[in-house]
Order: sequence, then structure tokens, then C-alpha cells
Amino acid sequence: MKCEGCLELLEEYLDGELAEREASEIAAHLITCAACSAERATLAVEQEMFSRYDRELEVPALLWEQVAEQTVSPLSKPVSQNGFSALVASWFRVPSFGFSLATAAALIVIALVIGMAYMRTQKPEPNKVLAETPRPITVTSPEPKQVPKGDQAEPGNRDFVASNGSSARKQRPIRHSTIDQSDVLSADTGYQDLDDQDTAKHIEQTQNLLRSIRNVEVNDNDQEIDVSYDKAVSRRLLNENIVLRRDAEMKAKFPTKALLSDLEPFLIDIANLPDQAKPDDVRAIKERVQKTEIVAALIGY
Amino acid sequence: MKRLALDELNLEAQPGAFAGTLMNSSRDLVARVCQGDQEAFRLIFDRYSRPVIGFIYDMVGDRDLAEELTQETFVRAYRGIRGMNAETKLSTWLFGIARNVARESLRARVRANRHVDLEDKSVLDLSDNEPVPVERLLSKELNDLIRRSLATLDEDKRVVFTLKVFHHCSYEEIADITGFSLAKLKSDLHRARAEMRRRIKPYAGVGYEV
Repeated sequence: MKCEGCLELLEEYLDGELAEREASEIAAHLITCAACSAERATLAVEQEMFSRYDRELEVPALLWEQVAEQTVSPLSKPVSQNGFSALVASWFRVPSFGFSLATAAALIVIALVIGMAYMRTQKPEPNKVLAETPRPITVTSPEPKQVPKGDQAEPGNRDFVASNGSSARKQRPIRHSTIDQSDVLSADTGYQDLDDQDTAKHIEQTQNLLRSIRNVEVNDNDQEIDVSYDKAVSRRLLNENIVLRRDAEMKAKFPTKALLSDLEPFLIDIANLPDQAKPDDVRAIKERVQKTEIVAALIGY
Repeated sequence: MKRLALDELNLEAQPGAFAGTLMNSSRDLVARVCQGDQEAFRLIFDRYSRPVIGFIYDMVGDRDLAEELTQETFVRAYRGIRGMNAETKLSTWLFGIARNVARESLRARVRANRHVDLEDKSVLDLSDNEPVPVERLLSKELNDLIRRSLATLDEDKRVVFTLKVFHHCSYEEIADITGFSLAKLKSDLHRARAEMRRRIKPYAGVGYEV
């Protein structure tokens, strides 16, 4: 494939709209062509900027009440009975226990939920590291970084996560795992699969780490560079990476597995640096991050 | 690990588990609304009001108006839900209604000669600004920039761009929502991206290395 053809289809390729054959041709071309690869990276940066777009828009609580006011008339109206027929019907009416049964069922349900929540709080959380809120990485970089919002995930789709607190987010996946929400929009779909959520968070954190390394200023005059924080972060991410990579492999998520496999050498190298690293060692990793364009690959995830 | 914990809490596997929470797929909700279940419509509203109001806001650029039009969208949806094609995704259908509601409003504004946002000169001047590193750009400024840049797109480009970039709809879904041909929406999307790029470029230049 020539560059012209590649550039023409590049947006559709990034949108995931190309047929398999065309997509594989583009992918093959991107590996060999630096110019087209740079264009892809530019588009990925744009996408990242748009993914940060926050309208700061809330759905007012009153809005539902206003909608409800105009939609109170039920679509299926009950058939009314009048006069003598209603009187006769009332003589033979069987007492209804519907309401009391519904109330009893609701109470049982509430008790079950509370019981399960209680039991869950009694169990240790083996994977607590993966569920942690990502800590901002502030290492020796020349400029402060803007950490992209985790929501925009959404793989893009990250615009419409409920903003009413993290507790709501934590509870959601439990329900979504059993509910068909194939047509739920945007970020909601990002929470259908906890593994994907963890992977996205992991990749975001790794991306921040690699950017920090890439932006480290290495001067020949420096005797040592303090990378102790980067190193600690890398060790934690390395452990996560191994778990997530194996998980992706078991679930046949091969693109994810390949990406995580590519990450591992970087994480190992950073984790193995001494706290006070030699400039040449840091420079070697930094140059490898730049040459391999691993950050662009992570942005595209 | 976490998956095991999830399986333990999988209500479907629990004897006597309450089926109510498992009946909340969009298709089920639509069926329940058609039977007059107001609570089911409330669930639809809770699930989709956020994306719908975001989409409408992108289209009209006015917070209060977006709220008003979101209300109108859901009222129309309720009244028309029985006519909804069973094959259509609920989200696509709602976006279609929202798009019509927003378009009617925009046209009314044009008729009333009040389309001030679309002629905001400050937006047009953005490309002449000196480059600013994105790291220094506060997110609020970036939001403002994107919002104002969106407002400069014509309506067709804006709807296609918004649905693709912010709402991650597929081309097929966008075609269903807008009624555009695939060729037109691809062309509009490409041009919209180019225009947005031109607006954003000064801010993505210096200091924003990939």
C-alpha cells in the first residue's frame, strides 16, 4: 500500500470502520512508514484532547419531574367499569394481596442486598492494587503533566460516566455483568467488563510513567539521576502487567495481550534501575521509548 | 482474583435471586414502557439522559436550552415508543429524536436571527493565536476552546463529528440517526475533523510531543 492510500483511509482505520483486509494492509504499512505512523500519532493526540472534553453538564434533578409531568397518562389505560356491571363485579371481587406481596418481596430483596454487601465487606480484597485510584506521577520531568481523565476511555467512549460520585461507579459493574446493555451509550459500556476497566487504568498509568521517562532531561554533566519514584511505580505496574497479560491471553484478547507484552520490557528496565541511576542508563530507556513510539500505541488503546 | 469475587456476587446464580434487576435491558425496558410501566421509563431516562443532554448541548451550545430540549426529547420518546422499530437500538432511536429536536430549535433560532454562537468572532480568531503548550492550557480553557470550535462547524458536520468523536457511534449508527448516506457522513466527518484540527492546532503545537 502507498502512503496516499494509507492516509486516505487512516481516519476510518482509527475509527475501526475498515474491513479486516484493508485494516491489516494499513497496519502493515504503518509499521514500515514513519511519515504515516507520525500522522496516526497526530490523530491519536487529537483524539486524546477531545476525550478530555468535559461539558461540566449535569442532568438537573427537576428534569425528570418535568418529563414525568408530561408523561403521566399511562399508555395502556385500564378499562373502566360503570354502573350496574361494576356493582355486580364488586360482589365477586377476590381480595387482592398484590401490594402486600410486593412489599414483602421488596423487603426480602433489601435484606438480601444488605446481607451480601455485609458478607463482601468481611472478605479480603486480593486485587486491591488494581482497584486503586491512580496516583498522579510527578517525577523529574521538565514540565508538569496533564493526566488524561480516566473516563475517556473511552477507549474513548468515556464522556458519559455518571458524575455523581465514585461510589456509584463502584457499584455499577456488579449489576452490569449480568445485564444486557449492548446499546447503552458511551462510557457505560466501558464498565461492562471490569478487566477492560482495569487494563485501561493500567495502561493510562503506564503511559504516564513512560511519558515521564521520555521527558526526563538527561545532561552529560549529571552524575546521577533520581528515579526512585519511577522505579517504585514501575515495579507495581510490572506486577499488574503480568497479571493482566495472562488474563488477556486466557480470554483470547490478543491485541491487548500483545500491547501488554510490548510494555513489559520497559517496565522491567525501569524497575531494575538503581534509585540513583546513571544518565546513560536513563537515556537508553528514554531513547527506546521515543523510537518505538510505545506511548502513541498506548494512546491508541 | 476480582473475577472470582464477581462470580460470588452474580445474582443470576443465586437461588431465589431477585429477577427484577436482571430485567433491565433496554429491550425489556421498552416493552415495559409499552405496557404502561412509568418506572421503566424512569430507568430509561436515568440511563440515557446524560448522553442525550450532552449531545443536544453540543448541537445548540446553550445549557438552559439543552435542558429544555432534553425534556422535549424524552416526552416525544415516551409518546412515540410504541412505534419504535424493534430492530432499532434504543440509544440510536433516542439520538435520532434528540437530533430532530435540536435541529428544529436551531432552525427556529436562525429564523429569529439569534444564532449568535455560530458567528462568534473570537472563535474565528483562534488560529491566529500564538501557540500555547497544551500542558499549560487549563482544562477549562480546552473545554471552552472545543465548545467554541464546535459552534463554528455547520450543522451537518457538527452532528456527525459529535456523534463519532464524543459519543463513539459507528458510521452505521450515525447514518441511522441522521439519515445521511455513508459517503456524505464520511466526507462531513473528515472535513469536520480538519476544521477542528485547524482550531485546536495552535494549542497542540509546542510542548505536546506524542
